Formats: sequence, C-alpha cells, structure tokens
Amino acid sequence: MKSLDELDKLREKLQQQMKVRDKDHEVTVKVSMGTCGIAAGARETVKALLEELKEQGLGGVALTQTSCAGLCQHEPLVEIVKGMEKTTYVNVDREKAKEIVRKHLVEGKVIKDWTTPDH
Amino acid sequence: MEELSQHLLDIAVNSLEAGATELEITIREDTGDNTLQFHVLDNGRGIATQDIPKLLDPFYTTKKHKRMGLGIPLLREAVDRCGGTLEIRALPRKGTAVTATFPYDHLDRAPLGDVAGTLTALLAGNQGLDLIYRHQYNGEIFIFTTREFKSLLKGIPLQTPEVLVWLKNYLANQVKELRRRNNEKLGRTG
Repeated sequence: MKSLDELDKLREKLQQQMKVRDKDHEVTVKVSMGTCGIAAGARETVKALLEELKEQGLGGVALTQTSCAGLCQHEPLVEIVKGMEKTTYVNVDREKAKEIVRKHLVEGKVIKDWTTPDH
Repeated sequence: MEELSQHLLDIAVNSLEAGATELEITIREDTGDNTLQFHVLDNGRGIATQDIPKLLDPFYTTKKHKRMGLGIPLLREAVDRCGGTLEIRALPRKGTAVTATFPYDHLDRAPLGDVAGTLTALLAGNQGLDLIYRHQYNGEIFIFTTREFKSLLKGIPLQTPEVLVWLKNYLANQVKELRRRNNEKLGRTG
C-alpha cells in the first residue's frame, strides 16, 4: 500500500514530530556524486543513509551532494560536517553508511578506521 | 555503470552542476517499437552547439579542478554497445536536452534498474529542485512532479528522510504498477 492516502498519515505524524523536536544541531552529510561516485554505488549509499536517518529519527540532518573530489579510487565518499569538524569516510557501502549514522551521528563517535588515511 | 538509471543519475547531476533548477526526466518503454528511451531536459547554463562533440571526449571537461569528464563517454559506450543512439542538443535559450535511445530487447542493453532510487538520490541533495518525471510503458503513463508533491506535503520538507524513503517506495511501486496495468490490458484483449 504505497498510496497517497498513506502519505496523508505520514504527513500528520511528521507534523506532530516537528512540533516536539527542538532545533537540531547543524550537521551536513555530503555524498560525492560525480561519475566515479555513481559508478561506485553512491546511489545505494544515499538510500542507506536515508533509511538509517529515518530509523534513528534524525530529521534535522542536511543531506547534500558534492562532485568528484579527486579520490575516485575511494568512492563512494561521505563527508560529515559538524560545525567546524569535518570527517571524510571512504568506500562507504550500505552497511558502512548505516553504521556511520549510528556511531557518528547518533553517538558522536568518529569511526577512525574508515576515514581518509591522511586524517 | 551497471544500470541505465545510474547513467540517468549522472546526466542529471551534470545538469544540476550546470546550475539547473528545473529538470524534466522522461522514460519511454515501447516494446512494440522495441525501444527504451530516456530523455533529460534542464534549464542549466547550457552548452554551445559547437562544443557538443567535445562532450564525447573523455579529456574534455568544463570543471576547473578536473582533467577528465567520463559521464557522457560512458553513456555513449552503453549506447553503442547495443546499437542505440545518443543525442545532445543545446536548447534555444538556455539548457540542454540529452536523449538516449536503446533497442529494448538487445542482450547488451543494460537494465533500466532502480529509477526510483535515482530520483530519490537527486531530490535528497537538492532542495530547490523542480522535477517532472514521466514514465511511459507502452500505452500507460505515470507522471510525478515535485510541485504537486510539495503541495500534498503541506509544509513538511520533502527532504525529510522519512518522506524520501516513502517517496522511493511510492515511485518504485508506481512504475511496477504501470507494467502490471499494461499486462492486464493485454490479458483482456488477447
């Protein structure tokens, strides 16, 4: 049942949540979506991020896309920007994407092993 | 790229990087005609007609920090592999139209794949994007517009993860439904 009536229910539920939710901290999640990123599976990464953001109830996170960062061999790349702090994760498949949401965004812990080698 | 919908995503991302705010994506599947076609029309900066042939050159790019642009050459390769055609047109005022046409039943034609995922990924990262998506399967057609969808959301941002996950399932289901309706019709007449 993926009908528009169903959307009505979802909208009502979200309207309630929006009233309760206090201002979320400024977090941006950037997925690299150049040709190299897309070929490496960036679309699956975006889908997994969305699913986990939904699961964790993190509505205030901005998801954006960037172009090729010159690290094509490490795609898909995900960059998390939290205030002044920037973390770039490499080779982010579906599982890693979900774990990044749970560890980094929910618990605030950077997963060092998956970040760019020079960081 | 494994799926045509990934090429579609790549072409659409090019449009957005060229400053497009409006995007029209049309997919036509016509089994009688043996064609599968996708068409992307944008209102981005556009390209000069004389520069269009350069797009097929992997070492041509308009981006300063890059030395290569593989998007169009890879699409060209996917088209050529199965004897399809690729047309890139500069629109009169501004904007670009890209049309890729494939023989439907060719063994080397990549599958269309996850179009709903492609559209969702596009919408996730681009708040101001005005998207019109048409999908035609033989006689059946489905149309989705962000304008109409936003009015149904009544102020809830489209970029809310929960909304996007819902939308992805909705779009996937509508496309499946197109095929089902078409097959049902065939069942009745045949």
